Amino acid sequence: MTRRDPAKLVLGAWTGVVLLFLFAPLVIVAIFSVNDSTISRFPMSGLTLGWYRKLFGNAALHAALVNSLIIAFATVVLSCSLGILSAVGIHRYGGRLAGGLRAFSLTPMMVPRLVIGIALLSFYNLLQADLSLLTVIAGHVVMTLPYVILITSARLVGFDKSLEEAAWDLGAGTFTIFREITVPFLKPAIVAAALMSFTLSFDEVVVTFFTTGNDNTLPMIIWSMLRFGITPEVNAIATITVLITGLFAVVAELSLRQAQART
Amino acid sequence: MRAKVSTVLAFLAAPKLWLIIFFILPMMTMVLYSFWRVADYQIVADFTLRNYQKIGGNLYVNVFLSTIRLSLYVTALSLLIGYPVAYFLARKVRRFRLTLLLLVILPLWTSYLVRTYAWMLILGTQGVVNQALMSLGLIDAPFTALLYSDVAVTIALVHIYMPYLILPLYAVLEKIDPSVLEAAWDLGGGRLRTFLSVILPLSLPGIASGCLFVFIPSMGAFVTPELLGGTRSIMIGSIIAQQFGVAYEYPFGSAMALVLMGLIFAAAAATLRYGRPRGTA
Repeated sequence: MTRRDPAKLVLGAWTGVVLLFLFAPLVIVAIFSVNDSTISRFPMSGLTLGWYRKLFGNAALHAALVNSLIIAFATVVLSCSLGILSAVGIHRYGGRLAGGLRAFSLTPMMVPRLVIGIALLSFYNLLQADLSLLTVIAGHVVMTLPYVILITSARLVGFDKSLEEAAWDLGAGTFTIFREITVPFLKPAIVAAALMSFTLSFDEVVVTFFTTGNDNTLPMIIWSMLRFGITPEVNAIATITVLITGLFAVVAELSLRQAQART
Repeated sequence: MRAKVSTVLAFLAAPKLWLIIFFILPMMTMVLYSFWRVADYQIVADFTLRNYQKIGGNLYVNVFLSTIRLSLYVTALSLLIGYPVAYFLARKVRRFRLTLLLLVILPLWTSYLVRTYAWMLILGTQGVVNQALMSLGLIDAPFTALLYSDVAVTIALVHIYMPYLILPLYAVLEKIDPSVLEAAWDLGGGRLRTFLSVILPLSLPGIASGCLFVFIPSMGAFVTPELLGGTRSIMIGSIIAQQFGVAYEYPFGSAMALVLMGLIFAAAAATLRYGRPRGTA
């Protein structure tokens, strides 16, 4: 059908408006981050990179950034190892239980972050455990694990089991097969899952809020700044985090797509 | 292919163990705490139903009801706004489909805190909307009621969670076999008729899971109502969070969180039950 489709025009225009709604707020934050007035309003009096420069000199922010990175890296490593084991395990050995096992693994997705956070806080309270970066990491892994399992399971659907069986017949052990065949096949999904759990952890504020002791993270700093009102530094930190996570999202998406094109 | 029991356990047990220790046990702790009480700033293991009775009071019932109402608004708006987008992506474009899909997913990767904050800049007294209206001469003084209201919280929650609804909907709509639509056309169904009696029923599973992806986090929202709701728009998430702060009322907070989870599970069960595809397809 080559005739003009009025529905397509209307729906296309609507999609454009919705994308504008999704992106305009972020663009506004970025614009105000280079505004040289302390009041975030148009018309802007001039441009400056001063707010970014001020961030570099802020020691509390440095410490928070380091904490955020430690938490995010630890979360990625733990969550990806556990998630890949889980997805492969369910795929290989799940049998009739596969559906139920997968559903169980995904339940944390169905629980609001707030509840994950306060449940962990209650648990730590009961055990009288000291809150630290470790207690935060445990919570972030719970939060990101379902995403890793979801992404790797989706990739495993297209996995040719005869490859593993051939390797088995040639005498390879279970872990050799896992390392030499399964993991390379999963690589694009692992890259995507790692990037996704990194951003989820790096941006998380609610779970961190309830599970951290005296250690601050970057989102926690933004959160405490916002409770005292809008300051221009927030625009700069916010813009930096959005740019980093946006870049990660694009890389992850391209990684998955290339893999799909190849198989 | 046969595997040793120990291998199977390594693959299946390690991840499950993490979830059991850091997710299931914490949830059970909340169940336990919800029947305990606080005395002299100590949580005492003393069985009581008082926490649940307290929730039955007018104050808390009203906050629960307004949280449900607001979450339903957010879900309905997300569906109305997101459905045409999912439909367009799944059935009307070819060339830029993947790029457009990436654009829809991209905001999901950015911080919900930052996206909430952006609405403070837009809806505030000195915000972008007020300034635009004033410079156009439509109003003399800024609206102070924009920020810190149900409207602000609703807009921001739609903004944050709507992409979660588009994804499953897209997946379902994309799978509809074109020959089914052609058959509907050939049988003389018009555009609207085909949509209402073929496409819409076939996309029900996507609508159901998409709506849950919006409704659940909205019910438990804490950051957004805290920053944009002020004292006028209070959601249950903020009240629950307070109990785990200086108030130190873990038992009461746990009871409220469990009621919240009960409501969420009821909604999920009902939605998934009625969200099955209808008809013969």
